[in-house]
Amino acid sequence: MLAQQLLNGLVVSGVYALFSLGFTLVFGIQRILNLAHGAVFMTGAMVAYYTVDGGGPLWLGFILAIVVSGLLSVLVEIICFRRLRKTGDEEFGGVVSSIGAGLVITTIAQQVSNTQILRFPFETFPVVIFRFWDLRVSMLQLFMAGAAIVMVLILGYLFYKTAFGRRVRAVTDNEHAAMLMGINPNRIYSQTYFLAGALAGAAGVLVGLAFNSISFVMGDPYLMFGFAIIILGGLGSIPGALLASVVFGMVQTLTIAYLPSGLTDTIIFAALFLILLIRPHGLLGQEDAGNLGGRR
Amino acid sequence: MNSFVAGYIPLFDLYCLHVGLALSQYIVLRVGVFSLATAAFAGIGAYTAGILAVDLGMHPVIGVIAGTATGMAAAIFLSIPLARLRGVYQAIATVAFIQICLSLNIYSENLTGGAMGLNNIPKTVGTLTLFIFAALATYLIWSLEKGRIGRAFNTIRQDEAVAASLGISIRKHQMLAFAISGALAGLFGGLEAYHSYAIDPKQFGFHLLITILSYVIFGGRNSVIGPLVGAAFLIILPELARPLAENRMVIYGIMLILVINYMPKGVADTAIDALKARKLKARGAASS
Repeated sequence: MLAQQLLNGLVVSGVYALFSLGFTLVFGIQRILNLAHGAVFMTGAMVAYYTVDGGGPLWLGFILAIVVSGLLSVLVEIICFRRLRKTGDEEFGGVVSSIGAGLVITTIAQQVSNTQILRFPFETFPVVIFRFWDLRVSMLQLFMAGAAIVMVLILGYLFYKTAFGRRVRAVTDNEHAAMLMGINPNRIYSQTYFLAGALAGAAGVLVGLAFNSISFVMGDPYLMFGFAIIILGGLGSIPGALLASVVFGMVQTLTIAYLPSGLTDTIIFAALFLILLIRPHGLLGQEDAGNLGGRR
Repeated sequence: MNSFVAGYIPLFDLYCLHVGLALSQYIVLRVGVFSLATAAFAGIGAYTAGILAVDLGMHPVIGVIAGTATGMAAAIFLSIPLARLRGVYQAIATVAFIQICLSLNIYSENLTGGAMGLNNIPKTVGTLTLFIFAALATYLIWSLEKGRIGRAFNTIRQDEAVAASLGISIRKHQMLAFAISGALAGLFGGLEAYHSYAIDPKQFGFHLLITILSYVIFGGRNSVIGPLVGAAFLIILPELARPLAENRMVIYGIMLILVINYMPKGVADTAIDALKARKLKARGAASS
């Protein structure tokens, strides 16, 4: 029983990792808390649903979802944040502006879906269940875990092993210095937002498949969990976000399995609150929350 | 004519309630604390008032006072840990606080009615009461602004180091702003409970947070007129554009993006600044 729960927790962790990696990437590079990220995630699920609904195969839906949510995320960056960065009010303004973008996207999705909960047709993803030892693993779970691992590996490769990754890290470190080195920060921002959105879109499709329910509000709880994960991992830290996703996925699965279910959220957010107070830089983050304002 | 006026009374009630909440949000932003907890305080106030009336049959006056007091107590309690955080981290912590309140509220079904909410609250608050309280709240904040405290708030928001060097206690003033914010939110939460027969937990969640924040951002964060104008505009706008009423949230969203990008001070404050600049210019032209 416990082993089964841990396994389920691991699969859930993969989805959280996909969602929060983009979230933390954007925060790390721009110091902007992108509250439209949940809406981008939801868009991914919607795109996949409507592709399948329109008769397309699931793999096409998956790819389309990744591309569309990536582009949407870039659009959010250009419309909401580009101007704010110049005026230097991105910390407060970014939150407000991205709340606005999130509202617009979710309301449009609400109209498109007629406020209904959408479900993939039966057997969109073949239901195959493997058994080994005492554990049950569905094909879908394997696919989710596999997709999450592949994407995280790709991201890690891009980020730490390529010239693109070096440019991103240079801009994160010091935008001005990076510009003097001939890097166009706006282009880097667009690329990072595309990556972040694509990851969120992929997570959206996986969640939509796993729970087989897609609705315009599905992004909200994940946004909240995303907060908890990136704080726990240390804002802007990619390994931290990965570690925190695993911790979080496990804790959530175990609390749902073994504690009164109504209290799960309370425990998670109380923990978030405590972490913020006791260890604001999270598990692996380096920056102290108190210093961020730079004015103290 | 009479039915015309009657048709708009619910809108006016909503306006009065939301002005109170917007002022509660305004006053914390005013001292440079990025707290979004007003929705949670309003929920605490509303539930205190509602439970007192439904379960214990208390007089509404006691209920409203108790709602105000609990809202204020919660705010003071929250201000202590929040003083350690800055900027975005405060926003995250307060959103977490809202979520904690929400899930505790849904969990403790015996007390709060859980997800079904609290029903059958006797309606004892009318339009006039709401208006009086909204006016009082506005006056309270306005008079605070005029005095020493208002100037201290300004200094803290603009530069905490300068404020500290002038002997202004940042912690004390932020706690004061929080106390006022919590009290106002609790008060108007309580009024809402007595005004609307029923309350439910979701009502005081993320949605309310966004609505209130929009008022303040849209109107302006530097003068009392800001939240008043913001609330008026954003409540009336969907009514004027009836076909767009379903898309109220799209309008809010676009407004938020446009205003924060192109008019970061808010509509009212930008207008006030423009008027002041014009006056100065006229005076300069006259003297030279």
